[in-house]
Amino acid sequence: MSVKYIPVQWNNNKWKYNAVMLASVFAYLWIFIFVTPDLMSNEGRINGAVHNARAFGSCAFLMLSVILCIGPLARLDNRFLPLLYNRRHFGVMTAFVAITHASYIINWYFAFSPSNKYEALLFSNTSYGQLSGFPFEVFGIFALFCLVILAATSHDFWLKFLTPRIWKRIHYLIYAAYISVVAHVGLGILQDQQNHTFTVIFILAAIVVATLHVMAALHEKKHGDPLAAESGDWVKVCETTDMQEGYAKIAQLTAKERVAIFLHEGKLSAISNACAHQNGPLGEGKIIRCLVTCPWHGFQYDVTNGSSPAPFTEKVPTYNLKVEGNTILVDRHANEPGTYVEPVPLNIQGAAA
Amino acid sequence: MDQAQAIFFAFQIWCSIGALIALFFLTIGIDRIDEDAQGAYVFRLLLIPAILLIWPLVLWRWFILETERDAWPNRHRPPRHAHFWVAIALAVFIPVIILVSLSVRQTWPVDFEPQKLSLLEERKS
Amino acid sequence: MIEKKPPFFVGYLGIPKALKGFLLKLSLLIFAGFIAGAVLAGATQDDPGQAGFRFDYGRQTVTGVLETTPYPLLYVTEGNERIKEGRTMMLSGQGKTPIMANLPKLEGKQVKVSGIILKRGELDMLQVAGGNRGIEDLSREGQIPSSEPLGRWELQGEICDGKCLAGAMNPGRGLAHKACANLCLLADIPPVFVSSNPVQGEEFLLVAGPDGGPFPRELYHYVGQFLELEANLERRGDLLVLIVDPDHIKAIK
Repeated sequence: MSVKYIPVQWNNNKWKYNAVMLASVFAYLWIFIFVTPDLMSNEGRINGAVHNARAFGSCAFLMLSVILCIGPLARLDNRFLPLLYNRRHFGVMTAFVAITHASYIINWYFAFSPSNKYEALLFSNTSYGQLSGFPFEVFGIFALFCLVILAATSHDFWLKFLTPRIWKRIHYLIYAAYISVVAHVGLGILQDQQNHTFTVIFILAAIVVATLHVMAALHEKKHGDPLAAESGDWVKVCETTDMQEGYAKIAQLTAKERVAIFLHEGKLSAISNACAHQNGPLGEGKIIRCLVTCPWHGFQYDVTNGSSPAPFTEKVPTYNLKVEGNTILVDRHANEPGTYVEPVPLNIQGAAA
Repeated sequence: MDQAQAIFFAFQIWCSIGALIALFFLTIGIDRIDEDAQGAYVFRLLLIPAILLIWPLVLWRWFILETERDAWPNRHRPPRHAHFWVAIALAVFIPVIILVSLSVRQTWPVDFEPQKLSLLEERKS
Repeated sequence: MIEKKPPFFVGYLGIPKALKGFLLKLSLLIFAGFIAGAVLAGATQDDPGQAGFRFDYGRQTVTGVLETTPYPLLYVTEGNERIKEGRTMMLSGQGKTPIMANLPKLEGKQVKVSGIILKRGELDMLQVAGGNRGIEDLSREGQIPSSEPLGRWELQGEICDGKCLAGAMNPGRGLAHKACANLCLLADIPPVFVSSNPVQGEEFLLVAGPDGGPFPRELYHYVGQFLELEANLERRGDLLVLIVDPDHIKAIK
């Protein structure tokens, strides 16, 4: 939020969130590294470096799968929104776990040689012309770069500096990274394994991720915000009877721009649906203590002028609106962020108070 | 090997340029383009890794903000429709990659007995 | 029309009562999922088999005749308790350090070699101490045993780097290990063919290129894959050498 940047912002729920996630990750690594060697009845012992690399690698894969489930789950059922709240911290943890996996590999398979180990990683296997024996390491390298870029740009400074739009586009790399990780595992360890337990876990996780995203996309197609169809300056958004005190109705003005019309104390105001912070859907939030509150991270705005209360300085565009009969119309040309617009009374019968 | 060396060298150069840009951006640039950064210093260390990696983007945004070319409407137009294509990509690539991976898996020829083809042939070269 | 609105979570405020139970269950589910994942994935890893450096044997010093083609081999003439006279030992440098550079001048000479044994079943290898310092020139000519041709064979199996396979790494074969194996081969470490079943009583065969020299780089694509091949076989001392050629080697479908 505006006011001076600090390295990491904390609050009670973030502590709880991180506690659950860290406990899960530590439990995973601890059990994998220290407990499972005694559970195996193997004749030989797997090298520590390889065992640890597998622990961290499989953990990073699981973490990434969980992270990728959060978005579509929150779309399908907003009880999952609290998981979205601090997803970035979990993402940064994932990047660190993945880096640890990579360093175990690099300092084991590519060490002990007079060659530079990073160069060795690139030149040792160059069988790019075949699937079996393909240098699957490159998929891991690509995914790792993506994860590091995402983690490194996770501070709120980057959202403001790059704009949420560019930041989001960069963070879409997570999907490329995941597909790449699937290829990394598929053409790597999956080729060798004779026991198929991990193979099954891996395939299930990847299929769940893909399925949830398809479900969320279909949900968006079916139940997504309606497109305001009219071509003139004033476009119809909804009926007055649709409005509910403290909540909003959303309409798409263009493919990229959405407006949220709020009913607050019996009056209508229209602001951009995209939060200034991360472009969260303001219209899916609600008014708390006279302020529109974003469902993602709780950024707040005065509904009449789209400005955050002092000392915060975030602003979103506002829209002029009018009521004709039972229809609410909005001027498709947004006002500059922070512009005051006189709320329009909703004195129509049938509106829910 | 030469290619690997070249790639690694290029990466080092890339990051070195990034380090130089980080130096200027974090000491001079950031105060000019973001008032929230004024007087805040510790968080700047967290920005270094990203600048090393995506410095061309940093330079471009720095230029846009310095020259006040930033168009405010763009800050409120998220690329939400892209998710549809993401879902399609995941739904296509993930099953295909898994199927391909499973199909190229080999089975150890446990039952194959070595066959002697001839008695003589000793290669002379 | 009043829609029932779901409980609304704001990060910096308390958790809504209606969400508490759900979030608690979800947290437990995630925690349990990670624990189950760790146990299942961790405890079902494949057995890499019994192999490794035999530091417990201590440093071994033996005398023999050195041959450097296709890879450094020692025909032991004066053995010890662990490495008997008459053995043919494959040699490697420390880690992935190449040792060939100074060896050709010792071809056919008597040398004293000291190092650590790596062993997996019948396969063993000697990691020469301190690079070339582990090979002492005794300045005496030796007799390289003549090789005995064993004919042409059709085989199935896998080409690995002999050192990781012999226990330098566990697991030390397969496709996930391929890049490591290639890096070993580049460091003069002898490649070894693991046959599906013993050939002339041997499961592990040293691999040479088509000219009888080192394993050629264009065949590195096959390392770690399960292969079917036709190749000439010969015996050198007590070691079998497989002379592969690119035209008669392919991955098993």
